[in-house]
Amino acid sequence: MANILVVEDDEIMLKAIKNILSKDGYNVILAKNGKEAFDKLENADYDLVLSDLMMPYANGLEVISRLKNDPAKKHISIIIVSSVGNEETITEAFRLGADDYLKKPIMAGELLIRIRKLLANRAIRHSL
Amino acid sequence: MMDSIYRFFAGGTFWDILGTFYQSAVFVYGFTLLMAYALLAAMSLTSIRNYMKKNASVNYDVIVESPLAPGISVIAPAFNEGVTIIQNVRSLLTLNYPKFEVIIINDGSTDDTLDKLIEEFQMIQVDYAYRQKLNCEMVTRIFKSTNHAYDKLIVVDKVNGKSKADASNAGINVSAYDYFLCTDVDCILDKDTLIKLIKPFMDQETVKIKELGEHCPECGYVMTQELHRRVIATGATLRMVNSCEVDEGLITRVKPPVRYLPRFQEMEYIRAFVLGKMGWDLINCVPNVSGGLGLFDKEIAVMAGGYDPKSFGEDMDLITRMGAFMKDNRKRYSIRYVPLTLCWTEGPTTMKVFGRQRSRWARGMAQIMSIHRRIIANPRYGNLGMIVFVYHFLFELLAPIVEFTGVLFYIYLIITGQINWPFAIILIVFVYTYSVMITTLALLWDQITFKYYKSWKETIGLCLMAFLEPFIYHPLIVFFSMKGYFNFVTGRKHTWGDMQRQGFGNQQKKKR
Amino acid sequence: MWRDLVDLLWQAYEQFGFLPLFIQVAFSLIIVAILATITAYSSILYKRYQAYVHEKRLNFITPKLEDLITEQVLLNEKLSMGVPVDEIEFDPVPLSDKIYKKIWVRQVMIDVLIQYRKNFRGDVGELLRKLYIDMELTKDSFEKMKTMRWERKIKAVIELTQMNIPISDVTILPLTNSPNPLLRAVARNAYIQLSKNEPFKFFDIATEPLLPWDQLEMFRIITTTKDIMIPNFSRWISYSTNKSIVAFCLKLIAHYDQKTAIPAVMDLLNNKDHYFRAEAINCLGKLSAEIAEVRLVKIYEHQPLNCQIEILRATGMIASGKYLDFLKHELMYSTNFDIRMAATRAIINHDSDESAAIIKEVMNTTYEENRIIIKHCLNPLIRN
Repeated sequence: MANILVVEDDEIMLKAIKNILSKDGYNVILAKNGKEAFDKLENADYDLVLSDLMMPYANGLEVISRLKNDPAKKHISIIIVSSVGNEETITEAFRLGADDYLKKPIMAGELLIRIRKLLANRAIRHSL
Repeated sequence: MMDSIYRFFAGGTFWDILGTFYQSAVFVYGFTLLMAYALLAAMSLTSIRNYMKKNASVNYDVIVESPLAPGISVIAPAFNEGVTIIQNVRSLLTLNYPKFEVIIINDGSTDDTLDKLIEEFQMIQVDYAYRQKLNCEMVTRIFKSTNHAYDKLIVVDKVNGKSKADASNAGINVSAYDYFLCTDVDCILDKDTLIKLIKPFMDQETVKIKELGEHCPECGYVMTQELHRRVIATGATLRMVNSCEVDEGLITRVKPPVRYLPRFQEMEYIRAFVLGKMGWDLINCVPNVSGGLGLFDKEIAVMAGGYDPKSFGEDMDLITRMGAFMKDNRKRYSIRYVPLTLCWTEGPTTMKVFGRQRSRWARGMAQIMSIHRRIIANPRYGNLGMIVFVYHFLFELLAPIVEFTGVLFYIYLIITGQINWPFAIILIVFVYTYSVMITTLALLWDQITFKYYKSWKETIGLCLMAFLEPFIYHPLIVFFSMKGYFNFVTGRKHTWGDMQRQGFGNQQKKKR
Repeated sequence: MWRDLVDLLWQAYEQFGFLPLFIQVAFSLIIVAILATITAYSSILYKRYQAYVHEKRLNFITPKLEDLITEQVLLNEKLSMGVPVDEIEFDPVPLSDKIYKKIWVRQVMIDVLIQYRKNFRGDVGELLRKLYIDMELTKDSFEKMKTMRWERKIKAVIELTQMNIPISDVTILPLTNSPNPLLRAVARNAYIQLSKNEPFKFFDIATEPLLPWDQLEMFRIITTTKDIMIPNFSRWISYSTNKSIVAFCLKLIAHYDQKTAIPAVMDLLNNKDHYFRAEAINCLGKLSAEIAEVRLVKIYEHQPLNCQIEILRATGMIASGKYLDFLKHELMYSTNFDIRMAATRAIINHDSDESAAIIKEVMNTTYEENRIIIKHCLNPLIRN
């Protein structure tokens, strides 16, 4: 099943998302901040990254930009999950290459559907 | 703050020997000072508890989510910080706030500070419509990142102006938002700094307006007077970063400094911020917002003329001018302090750097008192004139002098054998125990808001410094202050800009 | 030996009266200082001990609570099968654990549930709420409402609001005008979120100002609460005497793009407070109020700087194209830097062939500083 990296500095949310995604059969890896995320991105291959925006060491925008500017990691889909409501930041996230944006509080069902859809689209693109 | 408590024992011997007039004057001086400390301790306890009560239920996340959050420009001058600049800028860029920019001013560094920034953050020079609202040395180039992830970052390259004030002014000129946070690039900020410091600005009562003149018939414009108190600046506690565990510009564990000199400073900072600033906050008399960390209302700061590059105490100088500006325009204002430590700074570890810093502070105080002498005891300036300036003139500026002369006189008495030993000893013990008490109370108040140190041993270790302070640390401060005054009177040239900041940087580079 | 000491002290006491006053004072204060220092030390240690115990308790209970919530809510089988939240019953065994009877555990539980609610809405959010109700934590919150201490009341109101539990109007309405600003703010928010019929009623009766910070919270609640009836905010613009409410309504009007409010907002252009007028102009710009444009340009001359800049911005947002000449004139001839900057931005904002032509033309004819201003505004790397 797909490998998903969850980057989030709120422990409660981190664990909750892990539980929800694991239950659906995804292989979930956790990172508590930007630095951990970069380390873990180096060491394994992922299909999708779920990231918060405001975190220590490196914020979500940097995570997106780092991924999208790296030819080897460009293919990884990115969903931003954040409580930031500032429209400029959201636009910025999309401009840098985020695939989706969910505003906290999120709906667990919606998150799962979006992940499924993104991964399915990737599969189609791959097969073409 | 305690700078002059010790003068009291000298006062005791004067009492025995000199005429009644002088005796009474010194006695009143000392007694007033000690009572002022006790009063400050009581006021600061009240204001800290108020703060805690009020903020216990505040949901700070709301500002992060809100599109209504006011913008803040973070201004951090850098001079030869090549080794740590990247980490520190990264840490500034990850502050928790929805709408801010980070302005790094490269103050004519001679190392690779600028190159590193350009390379790491993919910066290019842009045509920036720069306007000199405040005086400063020439801004040569302005850089922005081509990577949108670093949109918040602006790097300003300027000719070295020999002072932090000059660089900060350039930063204010470039800044786009209504508020600016002034800090140092080598300070480490708590990630919630902006949220915690903007809050007092937003707790302000909405503008209530009184009309002063006639309507303009065309547009209805009329001179108006604001009846609310406008918050013009906020600040928070600073601590020493020296022995803290730091990971890439983020504090992972707070510890009091191991070495004695910075540890004394940590104790002194806590006392000055927690007891001093928070106490003054209660009666709206905050004298100063520290140069290491302060959030300012840009409109007022610019109208007051910004930082003065020639000042030795540019932070207090700016606050004074902002306050005077408000009073001159008959507006009410307030300066707020937050009893949380939001900024960690490197304290000097060598006597040389420390001495230079303190002499500069003392010189700055003398300079401010002489430049703004019209404010001292001037009822037109309200609290600023009648309380802040009177207090600082009497108990901050004069204290080291009174104390220094007192000690000389005391020695003279001992030599000539005119001393009443039992009384002198009682008075010395009194001043000693009293000063230990005040310091210990400050450290206790500090524990109310947050338990910064993990172990009780660290806490007690810091508390015990209060017992040593009167013998070791305090005499040093008096000595360096006198040196500063001497420099002020003789008008010796200053070179702090290069030296002090280079000093800081070098120590830090070894550590991190 | 004891006797000697007592004698000595007695003698000292007898002689004390003959000492000079300042020595007496000093002596007494020495005693006070020593006692105070000792007390301070003990309180520091005691407080630390308290905090230590508290932390230990939290470390013990939080994982338990998180497991419970994970099991019962996040991974609830019935929820994933699509059973409506109301019909889901929790497993009674873990819920009836004795530990959940303790008051402090219940408080931690409430806090943890609120944390989860901040992250999840939808079914999961509803189920969290059901857990709160089923564990009868509602009672704990209402109990806190009854105390006299305002900080406890505030906590109670916040908990109930977060959990979306209705509070009767009789209880909450008096609190919305409480003299305590903090209690007032949370009560108002609760009222807006929880009152089903007339959430904005207190806008009519509020006499106390709505602080900027409270506006943040209220804005969030208004814009995120489901099925809240959004009224036409222009009625308070016209009739409220509470300035902060009017200012807040301006922001809401802009957010909900209530074009019908334009005439009411235009009336504010006569207001005497220029900060306030600037906000009204800003609102008109956000509403793209083309009919207001004539008026804005007409009053422009007599406005203070902040209003002038807002007018230029508004013209840029309305972007009708009718006043490009006016903007061009300001860009070329204004002596004020900020005005030229705002005018440039406004022209660029039009984003039309005509505006592009103007920019090009000015670029070729104007002096160096203006050229840099134009370059600055055109540069996509510079946002501000």
